[in-house]
Amino acid sequence: MTAFQRWAFGLTVPACLIVTALYLVPLGTVLAISVEEPVPGLGNYAGLLDSPAVARVLATTLQVTLLTCALTLVASYVVAFALVHMSGRLRQAALLMVLVPFWISVLVRAFAWMTILRRQGVINSTLAALGLITDPLELANNRIGVVIGMVHYMMPFAILLLYANLAGIDRRIMQAARSLGARPGTVLLRLWLPLSLPGIAVAAIFVFVFSLGFLITPALLGGGRTVMIAEYISVQITNTLRWGVATSLATLLLVVVGAAIFLAMRSPALRAAFEGQVRQ
Amino acid sequence: MTNDTSFQQDALLVAADNLQAGRIDRRAFLTALGALGLVAAVRPGTARADVGEIVLCNWGGAAVDAFQKAFGAPFEAKTGIKLSIDGSGPAIGAVRAMVQANKVIWDVTDSGVGDSMTLGKGGFLEPIDYTIVDKSKVGPDFAVEFGVANYVYSNILAYDTSRMKNGLPTRWADFFDFDKFPGKRTMCKWIQGQLEGVLLADGVAPDKMYPLDVDRAFKKLKPHLDDIIFWESGAQSQQLFRDGEVVMGNIWHTRANLLKKESSGKFDWTWNENLLFASAWCVPKGNPAGKKVFDFINATLDPEPQIALLRAMGNGPTNPKALALMTPEDKAVYALAPDNARSHLPISAAYYTDTEAELQNKFLDLISSH
Repeated sequence: MTAFQRWAFGLTVPACLIVTALYLVPLGTVLAISVEEPVPGLGNYAGLLDSPAVARVLATTLQVTLLTCALTLVASYVVAFALVHMSGRLRQAALLMVLVPFWISVLVRAFAWMTILRRQGVINSTLAALGLITDPLELANNRIGVVIGMVHYMMPFAILLLYANLAGIDRRIMQAARSLGARPGTVLLRLWLPLSLPGIAVAAIFVFVFSLGFLITPALLGGGRTVMIAEYISVQITNTLRWGVATSLATLLLVVVGAAIFLAMRSPALRAAFEGQVRQ
Repeated sequence: MTNDTSFQQDALLVAADNLQAGRIDRRAFLTALGALGLVAAVRPGTARADVGEIVLCNWGGAAVDAFQKAFGAPFEAKTGIKLSIDGSGPAIGAVRAMVQANKVIWDVTDSGVGDSMTLGKGGFLEPIDYTIVDKSKVGPDFAVEFGVANYVYSNILAYDTSRMKNGLPTRWADFFDFDKFPGKRTMCKWIQGQLEGVLLADGVAPDKMYPLDVDRAFKKLKPHLDDIIFWESGAQSQQLFRDGEVVMGNIWHTRANLLKKESSGKFDWTWNENLLFASAWCVPKGNPAGKKVFDFINATLDPEPQIALLRAMGNGPTNPKALALMTPEDKAVYALAPDNARSHLPISAAYYTDTEAELQNKFLDLISSH
């Protein structure tokens, strides 16, 4: 280490200490409550495994999250793929449109979707006016609405992650393939997709981890009938005072997310994808 | 309890009549995080009690001004003691955390009778000192060991008159009569006041209501879940009617009143079989102002400040003497006016003290299992 490096390292210490204090200490408190209340021991964790209700909440969370993940990846890949092939000016405009939702709060977005999806909303009114439907489609206040809202929230993240990855792929490979007589479909399936797998994986993990903790979107678009883990924890903390249950669930969530990221980072290709954005 | 606290939270939104659904959960959750030492240190605007000051915690927004005008100003004029209002919301999780951490900054909280029993049982509250607080102002049901009722409100049956082809619904049985009254309904996600309506619809006599026959209620409810949307904040319950999502619902009377006013009567409600709740002042254990807080509480039980609050927010007086001072308009939104109280069912706070947590979770499980 040179003197400069030591200085630079020293400058990061205060920030590290603040983060540790503000993050790890409360986290430790949460962990502590989960083994102290209502009686000391691992009873809360055992109770989680025994409870059919908790199992159902976890199942709902997993179903909604995986569905969100799948739909987000497919839709985002299409957009990112198009972005890579656009001319500079058009791409700037398109990227701007991808970024706009970032500046709108999650609450506003959920309400906007309500306006679009509800029984007398934009979609149903239009379809009814065209004579295509007689009864309104059930798009909001159920699980469909939740997934639509969550996919919309996650897409900008996934698009940017995939775009960075796709933009880094050497395009001369495609030219070589085409010159050897490969059809466009073959080029997509046998070159683009395999080469962008690390990017897809990074986006998948990101969307998965993020979606597990959704609170407002399911609560607003689900008609009160899609209860995911974050909301369940919130109810136990605020309304039923079952802090032991809440903190053990929160810890479980943290462990699952941590494990997912840890396992993912053991793959060299993924590590490269995470770090590789810098090198382009 | 959830219904008390979210109602109070709602009352201020009613007064402001602005749409902020969703924030409630987050705020309540932040408060709870504060309990874990995360936010308490950095939460802005929390009042500090010192000599000559009473700190009241309510649900913020318009309720800060309404409470200050109705309770603070007259009390200060009379005693010289200032009222400071912290609008960060006294969720039971927050009160518990504050007392457990020995950092009590609130003298009095805008809670519910049910809250007072839950928190009192846990040892987080001071008993109400009835040598200072005059019990006779509110009657026996409204003065319990750890809380004294400051206002009443109801869950009522509201409906969209424009979509009723076969007359208007008049009782909870009509809520489940999908042949006569087709269309979606809304109920509240928070348990108190929900199963009572279901059981009344199923023919349970009001005097046999408690303890609730939960299995019977669930059995009645389950086949219809696909036609019921569950609201979690009053603003949302109002929006469901406005948007035409539902034709009927179990909502708070304050919200029904706003709907009626804004739609010139297209939306209406019946006081018949209304489910009556009492809100209550609670005093966190080890409150900074000590016994002085009871002088304040006593002053809030006079008819005049209670009527001021009724006019500002629709929350009904607990002092029977207030009735004589009311206009017909006041009485129309007052749950305890003789015309409105004929068939009401008082919600049993005592029943929920021991059962609510379990029941709330069972209810959530029922409505979210497809």
